[in-house]
Amino acid sequence: MKEKPLIELTDLSFAYEKVPILENVNIKIFPGEFIGIIGPNGGGKTTLLKLIMGFLKPSQGSIRKDNLKIGYVPQTNRLDKLFPITVFELVLMGILDEARWFGKFSKENKEKALGALERLQLLPHADKTFGSLSGGLAQRALIARALVSDPEILLLDEPTASIDVETKKKIYEILGEIKETITILMVTHDLNIAIEKVERILMVEKTVSSLSPKEVCKHFAVGLYHTPLKELK
Amino acid sequence: MDFLTPLFNPFLQNALIAAILASFASGVIGSYVVVKRIVFISGSIAHSVLGGMGLFLWLKRVYGIDWLEPIYGAFLAAILSALLIGWISLKFKQRKDAVIASIWSTGMAIGVIFVSLTPGYNVELMNFLFGNILWITKTDLWLLLILDLFVLWIVGKNYFKFLAVCFDEEQAVLQGVHVERTYLLLLSLVALSVVLLIEIIGVILVIALLTLPPTIAGLFTRKLSKMMVFAVLLTIIFNVVGVFASYQINWPMGATIALLVAAAYLLSLLIKNSLTIRAKI
Repeated sequence: MKEKPLIELTDLSFAYEKVPILENVNIKIFPGEFIGIIGPNGGGKTTLLKLIMGFLKPSQGSIRKDNLKIGYVPQTNRLDKLFPITVFELVLMGILDEARWFGKFSKENKEKALGALERLQLLPHADKTFGSLSGGLAQRALIARALVSDPEILLLDEPTASIDVETKKKIYEILGEIKETITILMVTHDLNIAIEKVERILMVEKTVSSLSPKEVCKHFAVGLYHTPLKELK
Repeated sequence: MDFLTPLFNPFLQNALIAAILASFASGVIGSYVVVKRIVFISGSIAHSVLGGMGLFLWLKRVYGIDWLEPIYGAFLAAILSALLIGWISLKFKQRKDAVIASIWSTGMAIGVIFVSLTPGYNVELMNFLFGNILWITKTDLWLLLILDLFVLWIVGKNYFKFLAVCFDEEQAVLQGVHVERTYLLLLSLVALSVVLLIEIIGVILVIALLTLPPTIAGLFTRKLSKMMVFAVLLTIIFNVVGVFASYQINWPMGATIALLVAAAYLLSLLIKNSLTIRAKI
């Protein structure tokens, strides 16, 4: 598996108004990996995703990602629930450069969007407004939007935050299917599931350490993050 | 037919045509303003337009530059303030409201001072503030038509891009949209729409006509495109009814339209509430 990395962060630091958020980060992400990102609140998890996507520019260091096609699933509560947009239109946003005059799309593109909705079992909800969906459905709609552009890597920001157990299970099922073809990088607070499902864990707390799931300590579940115990020994 | 008398009055004919023309750009751009929640920013652009109008009126009267109409000053001020406010809201995310408010009042202050420095009768200030249909000439109508087509052309080309920038800027960035440039373009279109409406309703009341019809439309629609169509129709209705009503009862036209829109908004909230309650039962 360890061919050329898809993404490579070298000596990367990021500060927000002179407050350091991330310092001296060195990580490589390889094709086909399913990576979980964990860490305390304010530790820099979302910042790391935003740096990778290019929404933020590093204060120091560099990111190499060679025209990588990225799909992004943000936290649903970041979006305006009152916005007049249907689930179908939301998914079409994933291929917005294909839009023609007055936001019309070709038949092929519409079928592509319907295909993504079907994959996430959202077809019955296609004409509802995004704001009227429950947390779990909204999350799935955002995953459909990210997948419609056939990305090489999928970035998810706490996809299972504040949704019920049943929907959580469904989302992990879907991610399990997707990971066969797409590299996944997922921020999560759900330690147990993270340990069970992912292949590698990045622990983000100002710096980033790479752990294997079995190195993840139970202490983390109560918010006590620390470097791998093997390093302490 | 007393009610139809305005149709035979050439001034009112021009007013009606202008009101209908302005409704297209207003309904479409107003919808973006409402969903992007930039009503305050648009209010600031609208009010600072007075600076340009006052300056051009002064230049025209004092230096005898006959072709320099206040409406051209409105254009200049609207575009300049849109770009300035856009730049501020992009660069200074915190405390931007105070800076935007200062542009709002500075623009108005410049306008008031130039109007007061202008020799002759100063009825213009009232006209600028509250609109005056007697302003509207045949040339203005052509100008409105061209502007309207221009605004609709740009929106047609960028409809989904604007939608993405309004709804989810990060997704737009991932899709390769230049978000800052698109946002500034949208604010420039807000500026043009404001100028289109000013002759009818004036600087102070323009924000009501730009934002309330789309807000009403938004209560009953699930898609931005439908919201726009509905908003355009509502704006046409409010403008036409406002022109007729103000003629009949001899009230100022801008204020009549603004009151009409506000009353319709209240009514639509009541209707929406009763529909929601009925749906729950």
